[in-house]
Amino acid sequence: MASDPDAALMLAFQGGDASAFRVLFERYGRPMVAFCHHFVRDGARAEELAQEVFLKLYASSARYQPTARFKTFLYRIASNHCLNELRRGEYASRRAADPDADADGAPLDPDALAGGGASPEESALGAALSREVQALLARLPEKQRAAFVLARLEGLPYEEVAEVLQTSVSAVKSLVHRATVSAAAALAPYLAGREVTP
Amino acid sequence: MKHLADELTAFLDGALAPGERARVEAHLGACAACRAERERLEKAVALLGRLPEAPAPSPTFEARFQARLAAQRALPRRPRLLDLLAWRHLAPGLAGAALAASVLVYAGARHRADERSMAEHLDLLESYEAVASVGVVERADDVQVVAHLDELGEGRP
Repeated sequence: MASDPDAALMLAFQGGDASAFRVLFERYGRPMVAFCHHFVRDGARAEELAQEVFLKLYASSARYQPTARFKTFLYRIASNHCLNELRRGEYASRRAADPDADADGAPLDPDALAGGGASPEESALGAALSREVQALLARLPEKQRAAFVLARLEGLPYEEVAEVLQTSVSAVKSLVHRATVSAAAALAPYLAGREVTP
Repeated sequence: MKHLADELTAFLDGALAPGERARVEAHLGACAACRAERERLEKAVALLGRLPEAPAPSPTFEARFQARLAAQRALPRRPRLLDLLAWRHLAPGLAGAALAASVLVYAGARHRADERSMAEHLDLLESYEAVASVGVVERADDVQVVAHLDELGEGRP
């Protein structure tokens, strides 16, 4: 795919240019950590997962065909890897035993999230929302979970989500809708009385 | 009137074609329940957009990756399942299996040929009770020998 500079880098790496792989890592390393973080909500584990995505990319580079965008190829590896991670359940069980879990359960004021400064209350709200989303993701069926993360949290267009998940756009619409309805239910305590902000 | 479903979220995400979008807007204008659902989903989407960002990778992120990559490259390459299924790995085993199968097929075919031959020469065998009694007629070749013995028995040189 000549119009995709990342695909060109991947092809260069296939041809033996190790620096091309380094450029891809520098370009996508941080986005991959963020992506994996949506699944595990743990910074250290997200970094490990992102590294493993690149190790897989490295190992599978010979099989890369530039028929799809490189980003799609990378997110497909990452989605499968993160879903496998959650499937193993080791992370979920570790989190369940985490004594840091928010004990009071009272929804905090979402307006406290505004702004860049992180007051203790803002941090607590962010952590509470993160836990709600983490719990939601754990409950969602796998494909809904992946579609939700890709479309809702990563902001990929439905067409790209369909490519990553190797399904149709209409299937993605359905997956994202059902996951969003579940999210609205999970976040209901935080939604009451809120105005929609543009 | 059928309420909106998948298309409502796609509408919020700006993922509808203009014609479909117009139909959704028309429905929302006429359906209070779908307007309420749109508001609920819109709030949830807005709240999700305010999740704290993932923390930046630690300063050692890339160095640790390079170390893991070096360790991965240092490992002897283990054949993957697909490689194991590749012809070059299966060939010796397949060759052995094919040889065994050939022997079985040949043995089976030969067994059937022997049976046919013995059936064809049943009259002959029955006339040579002495030969049959010693149990030497086991194969088609034996039947042929018996046939020649018969000829010899008739005083041919």
